[in-house]
Amino acid sequence: MAERELNCLGEACPVPLIKAQKEMESMAVGDVLVLHIDHSCAMKNIPDWAREAGHAVEIEEIDDGEWDIIIEKTKVG
Amino acid sequence: MNIEKKKENLWDSIFKKEWSYSKGAVIISFFAIALVIVTGKAWGVTGPYSIWGGKVLSWLGVNVDSWRAFNGSVGKYVFANSQPSLTNLGIVLGALLSVLLAASFKFKKIKNGKQVGAAILGGLLMGIGARITPGCNIGAFFSGLPAFSLAGWVFMVSIFLGAAVGSKMLKNWFM
Amino acid sequence: MNEQIKRSTSRKKATPEQRRRRKIIQISLGVILFAIMVIIASLFQEISPKAGFVLFIGIALGYTLQRSRFCFTASLRDPILTGGTNLTKAVIIALTLSSIGFMAINMSKFGLDMSAYDLSIIAGNVKPVGINTAIGAFLFGIGAVIAGGCASGTLMRMGEGFAQQWLAFVFFVIGSVIGVIIAVPMKAVPILKGKAIFLPEALGGWVPAIILQFGLLALVYLLADWWGKRKSTGIL
Repeated sequence: MAERELNCLGEACPVPLIKAQKEMESMAVGDVLVLHIDHSCAMKNIPDWAREAGHAVEIEEIDDGEWDIIIEKTKVG
Repeated sequence: MNIEKKKENLWDSIFKKEWSYSKGAVIISFFAIALVIVTGKAWGVTGPYSIWGGKVLSWLGVNVDSWRAFNGSVGKYVFANSQPSLTNLGIVLGALLSVLLAASFKFKKIKNGKQVGAAILGGLLMGIGARITPGCNIGAFFSGLPAFSLAGWVFMVSIFLGAAVGSKMLKNWFM
Repeated sequence: MNEQIKRSTSRKKATPEQRRRRKIIQISLGVILFAIMVIIASLFQEISPKAGFVLFIGIALGYTLQRSRFCFTASLRDPILTGGTNLTKAVIIALTLSSIGFMAINMSKFGLDMSAYDLSIIAGNVKPVGINTAIGAFLFGIGAVIAGGCASGTLMRMGEGFAQQWLAFVFFVIGSVIGVIIAVPMKAVPILKGKAIFLPEALGGWVPAIILQFGLLALVYLLADWWGKRKSTGIL
């Protein structure tokens, strides 16, 4: 149940999504990835991708224009 | 306390909750068609950009109206008569309005040199490409392909190939 | 997925009170901005007929682009870079709906038998197609992905407060000046001279053009749908 954190504040799209995908590859089932983003595209395309891949996703706006996306890896691949 | 929370949620559901891509697609098409019905001219973005550049040059004392490239267009330009100029201003304001009403506006500074390089190279390529076509993803593509224009289809194939090359460059140099 | 995912956070959050205050400020600014837009539109309307309407169409487009996180660049880039095709499919939906719209307008202009066909009154941008179309679009595609936004996307992100797009916009304009200068000798090259090809006129009628246009759109949609369903994060 390890937790990883990725600070993607200020990144241009699609960098947060690519980083998230890459990070997930090396994570074990049950691990949690927390992404900090401030890009409106990412607050939609990252949860979309994670859900379509079958993982549990939560998103929380923690400040004006800043979101935390929490992804729990639920399956391999 | 409970009533306040309910009020916020109503506001959020109207002004904050993001729309689906397909909802966006439908509404964007609607407004694009509305525009061409009322004015006769389809939506475009980059048409005035060279003139804006020419205007800046003219303020710096350059005699742009003598340039063959501009063909006198800079001198004749009136913002309020230029449909793409008006819609461009509108798009910037509309996007700003959207984030303000959703209370998610944040000024995002440039993070590093790679972003600077990406903005400069990307901007230049788009500017040059849009004058060679002529047209951009809106004028040549979104207002072209649906008008049953073969040029629109050629644009789509070509921009897709360009995007693939750009993706490789982005991944290798600008990430 | 109903349980809250357990996690800790190392971020310093703003207090709920601060957030509420900022929210009210932003919303108030938004309302003021809207009032200013109405005033600007009225002023433009006095200079030029329909200018206020056109400005508001732009506002509606920008609002919708932002609200739905619509991005043409992503529709072209994501299939390769991240494996996603949701935006690609949405763009095809938009192209299809617009096609229906333009078809209706031009059918009423030219007649179902295309007897009144006249390129000078056609609705939509039916531009000459040539090698310059391909070259320009290719360069544009490279630039849009690198810059993180295309023509409409750059404007949208300028309104969202992305400094990178403001910088990209400046060079977009500079590039446009370079572009019109390059275009002068290019226009003189005969091989680069294209002809405007309107599919119903070129294919001998609306029916073959409709079959081709909507058939191709459907094909690309199905292709995008299939590609997106592959368990893949792109091919780059």
